[in-house]
Amino acid sequence: MKKLTRREFGAAAASGLAAAAIGTKRADAQAYGSQALIEAAKKEGRMVYYTADFTEPEQEVIKAFNKRFPFVKVELVRAPGGQLITRIKTEAAAGKLTADAVNHSDRGLMLGIADLFQEYKPPNAADYRDDVLVAPQLWPKSTLGWSIAYNTELEKNPPKSWMDLCKPEYGPRKIGQVIAPSGGTTWTRIMFERQVLGEDYWAKQAKTQPVLYPSGAPTADAMVRGEISVAVVLYNIAYIKKRDGAPVEINFPTDGVPLNYYAAGVTKTAANPNAAKLFLNWCMSEEGQEFQIKELGYLTALKNPPFNPPGYDPKVIKPWAPNFEQYVKLRDQWVEEWNKTYGYRQ
Amino acid sequence: MTAETAALVAPREGARRIPFGWLWSAALLLILTFLVIYPVSMLVLGALTNTNPVVDGLSVYDLSLKNFITVLGNPNVHYALANSLIACGGGTALAVIIGLTFSWVVVRTNTPCKRFIAAVSMIPLFVPPLVAAVAWSILASPKTGLLNMIIKWAGIDFRFDVYTMGGLIAIFGIYYAPYVYMFTASALRNMDPALEEAAEVSGASAVRILFTITFPLIAPAILSGMLLSFIVMLGIYGIPAVLGAPADIPVLTTYIFKLTNWSPPLYSTAASVAIILMIVTGFLVFLQQKVVSGRSYITVAGKAFRPGVMKLGPSRYFTLGLAVVYLLVVVVLPTLALIVAAFRKFLFIRDVNSLFDMKAYSLIHFERLFDNPLAMRSIWNTMEVGLITAIFGGILAFAIGYTVHRTRATGRRSIDVISTLPVAIPGLVVGVAYLWAWIGLPGGLYGTIWILALAFIARFMPDTIKALSTSLLQIHRELEEASWICGKGLLGTIRTIVLPLARPGVIAAMTLLFILAIRELGSSLFLYTSNTMVMAVLLLDYYEGGNVGITSAFSLVQTLLLAVLIGIAHFLSRGGTDTSVGRAG
Repeated sequence: MKKLTRREFGAAAASGLAAAAIGTKRADAQAYGSQALIEAAKKEGRMVYYTADFTEPEQEVIKAFNKRFPFVKVELVRAPGGQLITRIKTEAAAGKLTADAVNHSDRGLMLGIADLFQEYKPPNAADYRDDVLVAPQLWPKSTLGWSIAYNTELEKNPPKSWMDLCKPEYGPRKIGQVIAPSGGTTWTRIMFERQVLGEDYWAKQAKTQPVLYPSGAPTADAMVRGEISVAVVLYNIAYIKKRDGAPVEINFPTDGVPLNYYAAGVTKTAANPNAAKLFLNWCMSEEGQEFQIKELGYLTALKNPPFNPPGYDPKVIKPWAPNFEQYVKLRDQWVEEWNKTYGYRQ
Repeated sequence: MTAETAALVAPREGARRIPFGWLWSAALLLILTFLVIYPVSMLVLGALTNTNPVVDGLSVYDLSLKNFITVLGNPNVHYALANSLIACGGGTALAVIIGLTFSWVVVRTNTPCKRFIAAVSMIPLFVPPLVAAVAWSILASPKTGLLNMIIKWAGIDFRFDVYTMGGLIAIFGIYYAPYVYMFTASALRNMDPALEEAAEVSGASAVRILFTITFPLIAPAILSGMLLSFIVMLGIYGIPAVLGAPADIPVLTTYIFKLTNWSPPLYSTAASVAIILMIVTGFLVFLQQKVVSGRSYITVAGKAFRPGVMKLGPSRYFTLGLAVVYLLVVVVLPTLALIVAAFRKFLFIRDVNSLFDMKAYSLIHFERLFDNPLAMRSIWNTMEVGLITAIFGGILAFAIGYTVHRTRATGRRSIDVISTLPVAIPGLVVGVAYLWAWIGLPGGLYGTIWILALAFIARFMPDTIKALSTSLLQIHRELEEASWICGKGLLGTIRTIVLPLARPGVIAAMTLLFILAIRELGSSLFLYTSNTMVMAVLLLDYYEGGNVGITSAFSLVQTLLLAVLIGIAHFLSRGGTDTSVGRAG
């Protein structure tokens, strides 16, 4: 596994020592917070972290954070988006919110409970794009981008663009798609498809009779196993498979990459606010973002990305983020229309 | 009817009036209100008000049937309901064929290795539905299933496809047959053989006797098993989620799960769908109770008889073969599939040769699993919560079972009905009902193992009481009466007579509760916290994370733990009277 990673990211490995040195320098320069914050976090010694992201990548993030700050034990609670919001709201209403920090894939839902979060700003706040912030206390800890992944053993002429996915040669039942109502990330993608690729894109794509999956993870898994040969999935989901040696390649579509930004914050009722801030500070730092990009296949909302995944050149591939007002307003009606077009019964 | 039978048929006549009976009943009813009525009321309130009762308060003035009307008018709900009925109906039919066949083979034939067959017939009960479905998707998915790969290699032009309604029915049927087996095996064991003997003397063939005498005589037991397996299937999420999703076959449980995951989550709608499911299930439970209360004592009445064993001749090896095939289908093949998936780095298998390419295998999934501190903690938490549930749930079930079946305590009928109610509540929604109900309670219950244990005790109370009642009913009342005559009080009689005799039944019921608690997912989803993560939730996390390798590795660990625990329980329950669910199995 590690060999492949190194091969894949030879340049990064070559600059490993330099990166470590830079890291140390940054740490000295209080890139992760003041010395007082670090001491206070050390005193707390633990924090509870709620996330809608998957357990495995989050565990890797925690492990990497603990390499720099071994004295903070991060306790993870992972739940799918809708369930996580219900839990947070109910716990908060009962005065028993146990989360110190929350990371959620749906900025719209997080905006609805923004008053549960305290004032928080990472030390490098100015390095982040302003247009992706929905509330001053919520920050894009994770950024995910859509991609087209394929099984290299089965697909010798892979699709390179979204429009390619409408070609009859990729049907029937060769392409795996995630259903529109699965959550904020998929809603971002179908919004992009309709607004950028054309009003009739869904109808054209649906003609190839794709296999519909409830979320990205089983779609990528089906592609690795050979149930389907092409999977429209978030880059990070397919990337981990590739990193582990599965016969997978991933293309960022040439006609645009819809991006989804998470929202993360520290709760007002946090029992361990300093540990929570230190953890988020590290995740938001250049080192944290670089780790998530290199090891886990995430992207970033930093104005100047410390690293770009292979094939991802923001100047060429046209990253796309939704207009947040439309993101909230159009959702129900468009998802319903998507369901009808793809014959999906919700 | 013999005197012995009469005593059992009319248990109330000899039943004991317990001192301060009303106080005892009130205490039990209070516990049941806390465990069952209160959370269910929260669920109904959620469905009627479109609110989260904890967040928005009890705004009872906004009560409306809007959610129900919306749900009932939604063609997708009709479609999911129709799919549920077809899948569970078909699954039940298959479960009856399998369960009845094995109960007949074990009890009424001279097939060799009957203890082995009896054990095999109960194994599927211990396999978590999600694990069974994942294993079968690895085995029989149309394009890449291991079985399909092997038969393709053998040049056979046939393919299994488990992602179909037929696949769902088959998996439901084979994994829920034990419910039919449990009922029919004990009925066959205790039935009066006089009519069979008369038919035999009159020259009827064995097959004719079976279909015209034996099965009609145990029809209530068959119907009971059928209804119970149907009810359990209706509430299962793991199997339709894994096998139904790729073919877009929604059922009510997967539909409910989707509603809870929608952004924003539609819990009130989910609660409405759940209440519709509860009404369907409640009606079936009522039917089952009717069937059981009408004729169940007849099976116990036959205890004095020893039903004849049919000598099968050489075909007894055929019946043994059926059991071996069943074992292969429910245990061996799925376990092999899980082993392949757990040890292979990734699950793309080009052909049969690459299946045996040892370079493709490694321990990486196990290393990653145990590298995650949550894995060990979830195992420990699960054992702890399982043990607490088994002990306290067992005690409560014994108290309820004894009160309902052996005393004339006031309100015992209400106690019986309320304690049966949880059977009808789907696990996925009851989790949020427990959260709504119990999070606001003063004290530090939320965030502890105890809140999970309480949910499991409530949820599996009907199963535990059923398992216990079987053994309680089989202890003759004369023994208790003798104890009373000798001057022992109620508690003394229970301690010296009932408990020792019912020991295997009590241990079997506690084991069942322990296993059900370990498997339980739905009610854990909202109640676990960072410190109380349990195995079932972590397994779902891994499954949802799309890593079949680590999911399979964790499934194997869970299966191994269950096997060890069942072995220990079996060892502990040895040496008692042979009357229990264990015996039924």
